Amino acid sequence: MEIMIETKNLTKHYKNKTVVSELDMKVTKGSIYGFLGSNGAGKSTTMKMLLGLIRPAQGQIQIFGKPLQGKMRLEILKNTGSLIESPSYYGHLSGRENLEIICTLKNAPKREIDEVLKLVRMENQQHKKAGQYSLGMKQRLGLAAALLGHPRLLLLDEPTNGLDPSGIQEMRELICALPKRTGMTVLVSSHLLSEIDQMATHVGIIDQGHLIFQDSLAVLHEHSQSKLHLRTTDTAAALAELQRNHIPAEEKEGTIILRDTSDRTVTCAIRHLVYAGIGILRAEEIQMSLEDIFLKLTGKKVSL
Amino acid sequence: MTGVIRQLQAERYKAKRRHSWAVVTALCLFLLLWSAFNFRNADSRELAQGYSTLFYQLPLFNTILLPLGLSVIASRLCDWEIKGNTLKLLCTLQRKGAFYDCKLLIGLGYLFVIALAETVSIAGIGILFRFTQTLEIHMLFLHFLQVFAAGTAIYLLQQTLSLLCENQLAPLGVGLAGSFIGLFSLYFPTQVSRLILWSYFCQFTPLAMDWDRASREISFYPTAFPLGLFLGFLAVIIGMYALGKFLFLRKEI
Repeated sequence: MEIMIETKNLTKHYKNKTVVSELDMKVTKGSIYGFLGSNGAGKSTTMKMLLGLIRPAQGQIQIFGKPLQGKMRLEILKNTGSLIESPSYYGHLSGRENLEIICTLKNAPKREIDEVLKLVRMENQQHKKAGQYSLGMKQRLGLAAALLGHPRLLLLDEPTNGLDPSGIQEMRELICALPKRTGMTVLVSSHLLSEIDQMATHVGIIDQGHLIFQDSLAVLHEHSQSKLHLRTTDTAAALAELQRNHIPAEEKEGTIILRDTSDRTVTCAIRHLVYAGIGILRAEEIQMSLEDIFLKLTGKKVSL
Repeated sequence: MTGVIRQLQAERYKAKRRHSWAVVTALCLFLLLWSAFNFRNADSRELAQGYSTLFYQLPLFNTILLPLGLSVIASRLCDWEIKGNTLKLLCTLQRKGAFYDCKLLIGLGYLFVIALAETVSIAGIGILFRFTQTLEIHMLFLHFLQVFAAGTAIYLLQQTLSLLCENQLAPLGVGLAGSFIGLFSLYFPTQVSRLILWSYFCQFTPLAMDWDRASREISFYPTAFPLGLFLGFLAVIIGMYALGKFLFLRKEI
């Protein structure tokens, strides 16, 4: 699988504080890489380093297999679109005029403006001054600017920040459609777990500058250990019976919780309870939510 | 289109609807009217040294007006980048140093027009008021050089401040203060006034003034062009450019 972004040992300090620490990131071609972390975790700093906007204290960055440094930087970034933090725009110019500036700098043909305006559904507002746009429209204009020149890689930093629910939904659909429609790779950061869950194919979780998880979304879901919740006619007796037979179990709010859900343990537990004359009212397998996984990995709550 | 031309083209697009030329035109008109106003009741003696009067007075007017005018131009050219948060996008599309240079080129373009308009207006006023003094072309050239060199130094300072400051009030304040400091520095001995950047609109004039207390008449006499000082000033401009660019490149976005 072709690697589009690879960082090794990427570190950034601000004064005495380490904001990003020894980050090893790998983004594969055609993926939507969800870069997840709470506010201040180091997402924006990492993305700015990936664009060469700030210098890392140490470590290497390779984009499209080439080191991001010196004269190569702009050559690499020609094939990259970005939307970092708040959108960039010239308020005194119309949306179309804003795109004309980007088109000129990217040396992209002007006809692409119509293509990207259609893609972000802004054809009707293109002649309005960007300063009069809502935040959602400014974000879409930023995305349109990032899409000019058919980049192979798109870096989006919290693109749904400040959008209303319908705007979030629209932006999400747009991002999800990009790899299929254009074959581009997307790196999208967010502090919203549900957002990454709905968009990404791969996930990197950053916490206090450390990349604590990186793999496909499916693997992240595999981290979810299931538990068996049992409701019995006599909770205390049931717990004692299970412990007497060396089956690990705990009691919480009148429910017996079995952490080992292998077939052998479940069979064994139920057999012992039935033989002991304890009635089983309900048996329910509970999957760990993505939020629980995040909490387990970071020890912190995350927005949903 | 080459990279530089593309970047200058982008700057031209950005200037749309910002009426930067209006500032330049207003500045030129004000300087022209102020200069011409002094000759409305000129007698034959004044007309006989009309050009010398202009070559001596215009640098003073420039000291008062240009620091503020150039700070307004620099601020207008840089403000839309700061307000629109565009630096983080632009720096992925062009070299940060090239961006600084393009802004400088555009700003110096405006300054060039101001200096040229002022130089041409000297000849224009002379024709309009029928000066009897002969116009020396080398004086026109030296005047242009003085306005452009001193203006370049001031513009470099203002552009760097405008790009480094989030709030444009600070650079505008420096421009305003510069006008006052430059003017008042001329009351101090030359050794002191030469330490003040804003005084340099008046430092290279190859003319001196003599005021006769008894007849209450002013006469001008030529002096040598301070070539050494001028070359030293050019070195300061190069230093200011290097420092300004370094500070801007160091600024993290």
